[in-house]
Amino acid sequence: MTVNRPDGSAGDLVARCQAGDVDAFAELYQHHAGRIFALTSRMSGSPDAGEDLLQEVFLQAHRKIRGFKGDSTIGTWLYRLAINHCLDFVRSRQARMDKVTNSIDDDMTPPAAGRDTPIERIDLERAIRQLPAGCRAAFVLHDVEGYEHREIAEMLGIAEGTSKSQVFKARLKLRAVLA
Amino acid sequence: MTPAHPEGVTLDDYVDDALTATERAAVEAHLAECADCRELVADLRGVLAAVSTLEPVQPPRTSWTRIEQTIRRGSAERRTPRWPWLAAAAALILATFTGLKLAGVWQQRPASGLTALAPATDAQAVEAELLQAEQHYQNAISGLERIASAEKGSLDPQTASTLEKNLAVVDQAIGESRAALKSQPGSEPAQQSLLENFKTKIALLQDTVALINEMRKGNDASASRLVTGLKQKGT
Repeated sequence: MTVNRPDGSAGDLVARCQAGDVDAFAELYQHHAGRIFALTSRMSGSPDAGEDLLQEVFLQAHRKIRGFKGDSTIGTWLYRLAINHCLDFVRSRQARMDKVTNSIDDDMTPPAAGRDTPIERIDLERAIRQLPAGCRAAFVLHDVEGYEHREIAEMLGIAEGTSKSQVFKARLKLRAVLA
Repeated sequence: MTPAHPEGVTLDDYVDDALTATERAAVEAHLAECADCRELVADLRGVLAAVSTLEPVQPPRTSWTRIEQTIRRGSAERRTPRWPWLAAAAALILATFTGLKLAGVWQQRPASGLTALAPATDAQAVEAELLQAEQHYQNAISGLERIASAEKGSLDPQTASTLEKNLAVVDQAIGESRAALKSQPGSEPAQQSLLENFKTKIALLQDTVALINEMRKGNDASASRLVTGLKQKGT
């Protein structure tokens, strides 16, 4: 396993955070919030839930940062916290929402906007949010975050074949939106 | 005659380059004969290409404010606003979002995550809701603009100039969203974009008010961070 030691300014920043410097923690937030919020809002399927998750991630990071030993980069450490929060969210919501999401499974209608408009990226983000919860999680983890199906199966507690079929299902739905 | 189509996940694995050499050869032999599957493979690659352009998404600027407040409360460094106008600004924001909730415009956590707008069954209802939301945002923006304008003398000229530039960018984005809505009145992305731009403007004005507060308190570190945020916002 590769051990990445924080060095230079990143190491100083972590040290200041560990010493309780809130301004340093704000700087840490500025560096990483965009990536973490992209993950939490896409995985949860809602900017509001994504914002709540983002706040939970950084509050937990603030509580735990004294225990950060530098076995990975601080960005990787934050990302793992975020993934764990997202997985908890997906697992807890999946149980409650399966019935609802299955009922809206085929509700996605391609938006009116065409390609190459300023609206296109918004469409794609929205289309990802509109995916049914199960296939959205597998899709975001595989196609956006780069995890292997084997890893996703373990993370979500599903079979590897299910992960593959969920990703395929998501791609087909996005294909309809982007067509 | 075209042989039986491969399963969808097999074509997906082909796109992901996750097949064995034998499986890959079989798929390619089929693709050579089957236009439908070739089209599907091309589209799947198109989806992946589109997804690869996704970028980090900046959270609302109020997110950090909430985190910071919780952290500071936790370390028993509770601070109360020293300036009455700051409390007024906070009350204004609260009133705005309460109003939006009461009006049913800003629906809480839609189960499907489809949209922040309440479900409306026809275009007129959506338009009415949008107008209502716009009015609430405009009220908040006007109030914050009055506060920021009255206290702007506290800012140094360079920061004031950065702020004005950023506000101009947001105003332009609002104008573009309005134009998009005018040409596509029923477009939910355009509606969403307009509301997001209003939220951005409110967040920018909130930062301005917070910055003025920090500068008047002589809290250089927090003020400097806010100025950095304002500059980044403008790039």
